[in-house]
Amino acid sequence: MPNDTASGYVLEMLGISKSFPGVQALNDVTLKVRPGTVHALMGENGAGKSTLMKCLFGIYREDSGDIVLKGAKVKFHSAKDALVSGVSMIHQELLNVPDRSVRENVWLGREPMRSFGPLRFLDHRKMHEDTAALMKSLDMEIDPADRMGGLSISKQQACEIAKAVSYDASVVVMDEPSSSLTETETEHLFRIIRDLRSRGVAVIYISHKMSEIFQIADEVSVMRDGRMVGTYAASELDEDGLIRLMVGRDTTDRFPPVASVPGEVRLEVRGLTAANPRSFRDVSFDLRRGEILGIGGLVGAQRTELVEALFGLREVASGEILVDGGLVRVRSPRDAISHGLGLITEDRRGSGIFPLLSVTVNTSVASLGRYLGKARLLEHRRIESEAAKLNEALRTKTPSMGTQIQNLSGGNQQKVLVSRWLMTLPDILIMDEPTRGIDVGAKYEIYTIMAELARNGKSIIMVSSEMPELLGMSHRIMVLCAGRHTGTLEGKQATQENIMRLATQFV
Amino acid sequence: MAASSTVTAQAPARGLRAFLSKNTNIVTFVVLALALGALTGGRAFGLDSIQNLLIAESVRAFAALGVGMIIITRGIDLSIGYVVCLVASVSASFAQTPDYAAALYAGKDFVILVPIAAGLMTGALCGLVNGLLVAYGKLPAFIATLGTLSIARGLQLIYTKAAVVGSLKQPFKNISQGSLGPVPYLAIYVAFAAFVVWVLLRHTRRGTNFYAIGGNPVAARVSGINVERELVMVYLYAGVLYGIAGVLQAGRLGLANALTANGMELDAIAAVTVGGVSQTGGVGTMGGMIVGVLTLGIINYGMTYLGVDSYYQLLMKGVIIIVAVFMDMNKNARR
Repeated sequence: MPNDTASGYVLEMLGISKSFPGVQALNDVTLKVRPGTVHALMGENGAGKSTLMKCLFGIYREDSGDIVLKGAKVKFHSAKDALVSGVSMIHQELLNVPDRSVRENVWLGREPMRSFGPLRFLDHRKMHEDTAALMKSLDMEIDPADRMGGLSISKQQACEIAKAVSYDASVVVMDEPSSSLTETETEHLFRIIRDLRSRGVAVIYISHKMSEIFQIADEVSVMRDGRMVGTYAASELDEDGLIRLMVGRDTTDRFPPVASVPGEVRLEVRGLTAANPRSFRDVSFDLRRGEILGIGGLVGAQRTELVEALFGLREVASGEILVDGGLVRVRSPRDAISHGLGLITEDRRGSGIFPLLSVTVNTSVASLGRYLGKARLLEHRRIESEAAKLNEALRTKTPSMGTQIQNLSGGNQQKVLVSRWLMTLPDILIMDEPTRGIDVGAKYEIYTIMAELARNGKSIIMVSSEMPELLGMSHRIMVLCAGRHTGTLEGKQATQENIMRLATQFV
Repeated sequence: MAASSTVTAQAPARGLRAFLSKNTNIVTFVVLALALGALTGGRAFGLDSIQNLLIAESVRAFAALGVGMIIITRGIDLSIGYVVCLVASVSASFAQTPDYAAALYAGKDFVILVPIAAGLMTGALCGLVNGLLVAYGKLPAFIATLGTLSIARGLQLIYTKAAVVGSLKQPFKNISQGSLGPVPYLAIYVAFAAFVVWVLLRHTRRGTNFYAIGGNPVAARVSGINVERELVMVYLYAGVLYGIAGVLQAGRLGLANALTANGMELDAIAAVTVGGVSQTGGVGTMGGMIVGVLTLGIINYGMTYLGVDSYYQLLMKGVIIIVAVFMDMNKNARR
């Protein structure tokens, strides 16, 4: 059914804009997809790809713009809504019911029924036969009776695709579908995608993997900073050109000068390998006094996993950690803190703040051991004055030190968390996505604090998904790709293009 | 911090009104007390009546302080009633008069410290088991304590052979039944325990850790708190408090049997919930727990005084828990 609309497009997203408090996430974005094509959607982390797809599936409501499916304006209210209209999404993390069979998963929510008098029962036989026929037509070797959770990731994904086909899908969105597949499995996925294309289905393919894009895509749309850069035929692009389109922008004046000069080595990591085989392996690096070491990489590069392992939150299989030349064992955050480490996690709400507790408690919770007086009772007065002093120095805006932290803005919550770790008197501060979800003004303040800390001899590890932030704040940038350390960039070599190249080395 | 213009951008509301709007549990209690006073023309508040109220609520208060701390850490304890029952039976068995033929240890005369120590250790052991199951066994507190509930009940029946443990020595009973002038000993013990809990929650590192774990267990771990050890400790402390409750209950009634303290978990959980200890975790104070106990106490006492059937009292208690939790969920709803 190619070209079933006058425009020649099966899906058009026209002039979509979406803003969140303090952020323009999408700015007048237009995406047009032809039937029977594979359309790659490219962009850095945070460029707006996921936001755009969330608008398509009604998870976010766009501020303005239209979505046109086969010539008719549509507005989906949920993924289910979209699915019924023939638009489906294959998620990066599979959303299935692992303990039920393949056939039950495929027909979930619309199971064929059989009547018995006034009663209605599941029609297991029809479910089984329809699923078997579906699998056969797609050339997939999957038994409809198998337990979903017992299948390989690749087969589970194939089931999701089969399910989309069973809804008579005209548009299938795939978000990083190959991220957990082996090479042969990826080959199989591509066969399925080509089959879908020949049936007239449009596939929107989101991936960071350059090589895949040029293998499978017909057209490529590139997003950057919430805007659509443009749509190109895959044949008219090459890898370098695509990277330039994805990162091309300047980085002046968004960062304070980082004036500190790195001194002696404080932290040395040798051959660190995670206990989880899917995570990082054989990572080595060092960190100097007064240095800000940026860690870059794509989603799935295992950056957070690495720093959480350094902090004793994840199990390590092998490797050594040396602090000031001495070998240390870090089996829990307590160990890490005692060796002078601090960690500001990427998920402020989930693993950072205590929402219902006061600013004072949120600041002091990790350092109470140093404020025990007579009979090991807490010295409230000293705690309060020290917590207030730190927050004052970072210019935290709060009605009072007794205010519940949940009533503060994201930027001010982040400053309280920085205060928390400064109160532990760390030598090494790890900051995972330090400016995620905070507004531009507060970002600059956080950067200023980081530069100031480095000048005072603290060492900082900064994990960031924002290229400009990495380039603007780091002395050196270490890049991970698929859990491996692919290179460390310094000085003139630290460019967006080089980071991107290292970040996609194995993919 | 007078100089901190950024930190103190606006002064928090002060004064009586602010205090009352923050402490609705106290308001509830006062309103109920006044209502009861008005309904009975003040007769409900004679010295006798107040003494009776204190005696009746004291044992419950220990349980409430224990489970209140547990709920602050985002846990729950359903085993209270039968743990207190087991404690009371063990304790009573060492306090029976030696010439009582049906005594569990007939002919043996233990010093008064033995029943007390045996009771406290039984309570502590039950709490420790709960704590280990929750902290290291990673069982949901609801299920773990449901299991210990049944274990405690079984042990009590095995230990006593389902018989009443009676004929307790007067000196043992005096621990619970005596009074200092007009003040019952029980009220003094509660005041002391409440003070200790207040110091623990307000003035020790462990207390702050309890609030932190209840407020956000993941963040607590990242902040270097040994979450597992702290959870074991909170259940252990609660166990000791149940131990005290059991010993005192045996002495107060002069016996222990399979019905002793039945349903006390309901009373204790209801009381602390009414007193503002939130099921979301990380919220609650010693004062709130005690006010909650007194509020439920005055409701029970008032209904008895006004001649309401005890079946209706049970029904009311259920309604009160549901209403209190409902109001709490709305107040502390996140986001």
